[in-house]
Amino acid sequence: MVWKIQGVEGENYLESIKNFLNQLLKSKNVDAVLVPKRFPDGNNTAQVLITDPGKLDDIDPLAPVQMVNSAQIVKELTKDPVKEKIASVLRPCEVRATIELIKLKQILDARLYIIGYDCPGVYNVKDYIEKLEKSNGIGKEGFTLSYVNSFLSGKQDTIRESCQLCTHFTGNSADINIAWVGSNSSDVFIEVNSEKGQSLIEGLAGEKIGDLIERNQKINKILDERKKRQENEIDDFLGFMQRCIRCYNCREVCPLCYCKECLLKPEKMGYSSDRYLRRATKKGQIKMPVDTVLYHLTKINHMAFSCVSCGLCEQACPMDIPLGRIYNVFGRKAQALFDYEPGRSLDDELPVATFKEDELKEIEDVKE
Amino acid sequence: MSRSHFDSGEKVKKKLKIIGFLCNWCSYAGADLAGTSRLQYPADIRIIRVPCSGRMNPLLVLKCLQEGADGVLVSGCHPGDCHYQEGNYYVRRRMLILKNLLEYFGIDKRRFHMSWVSASEGAKWADVVKKVVEDVRDACEEEVKTAG
Repeated sequence: MVWKIQGVEGENYLESIKNFLNQLLKSKNVDAVLVPKRFPDGNNTAQVLITDPGKLDDIDPLAPVQMVNSAQIVKELTKDPVKEKIASVLRPCEVRATIELIKLKQILDARLYIIGYDCPGVYNVKDYIEKLEKSNGIGKEGFTLSYVNSFLSGKQDTIRESCQLCTHFTGNSADINIAWVGSNSSDVFIEVNSEKGQSLIEGLAGEKIGDLIERNQKINKILDERKKRQENEIDDFLGFMQRCIRCYNCREVCPLCYCKECLLKPEKMGYSSDRYLRRATKKGQIKMPVDTVLYHLTKINHMAFSCVSCGLCEQACPMDIPLGRIYNVFGRKAQALFDYEPGRSLDDELPVATFKEDELKEIEDVKE
Repeated sequence: MSRSHFDSGEKVKKKLKIIGFLCNWCSYAGADLAGTSRLQYPADIRIIRVPCSGRMNPLLVLKCLQEGADGVLVSGCHPGDCHYQEGNYYVRRRMLILKNLLEYFGIDKRRFHMSWVSASEGAKWADVVKKVVEDVRDACEEEVKTAG
């Protein structure tokens, strides 16, 4: 079902989204909203948890910058049972990561409402700050809006690689999705995808409308372009791994790396000094730090099924390894084995947590 | 047993180090039966007993290969016969993705194998080892050739 929220004449999408969240909080359908907001100081937006509707000024979910994958924040907010209802406004990759974490029993979703929105993609943090500083004082809001316009006109080449490859940029699997792509005015559309979502918009102002044909056409056009960009092979995986300094940044920012006791932690991967020497003696030389390939392959093995390709690993990598592309390719390969799509639905079972009795006969490759 | 390393008595084949992870309930007992039945098979395999093939973590396999093992074999109960009902159903999925990733590690797929051997299949165990050794040896020889 699609619900139309009338925008204010001459205003922008951000204002309409703000009005919608304002209504949500005032109607008491939720008690708190988690949403990105601009701060007066510093060149960034950060997630804030808002309970007072008066604090909704300066919210900016469309700002082309992503500091963290907010699924990690949602995880922190929902690890214990609470009475209050929380609505989290998330980018589609964050929605999908959240759904994966619910399946992995890391998020208690009883009081959680997931609100997705059409995501125009983001810059790398460094690029965002640089471009903002060079933007001749149009301000952060002006910068966001000019970015949104350039997204709508199809300009995409300077955003993060993961975003250029992203084929899930609408929040289809969220409880509700705030849709603005394909809207000609400042109106936004609320796509309701679940019963929970239905209860969320109960009693709010707005009108029910039919399918958004223009929107679907626009989205399909962007999808086609992006699918063409997706690569299916990594040229020089081992070469890229030579650059890795095993700083664990990619693990820290990964929303799907949730293990409290990580198999790959430094104490586990390190050796005693004499062992390094023995290994070096065996081969004549070893590269230090050791085991960078092992680290990544194990990490991929552990989370490839659930990888939502948010690209935070690439943004966090100090050595500029194209981890976003690497994990995207590996993730898609692994997911294709079981026709699984991370974050598609809560009903899809995790491929490693389930099985069919009659499958994968070919894995037994040595027979009588 | 060491006779199997001799190629018609002319030249000694390189001894391989293949690590076999065998589940406690089926494959390990199967290998034991092969021994008590005095079946002959190449001695290039080192056996590590695991409680269930479902215990296998991809890291165990990768680590073996990285530390210099020539190949790895994971063997468990036949699907449906797992002592813990379903361990081998899970490992089969997990090892499938590992197998698909090995080439990126620069490792020939033939160095990694899986088999299902029950406690009564001593003869099958001997066959499996022979085949694995053959395959791993092929992979090794091919690599030596391409390395010049």
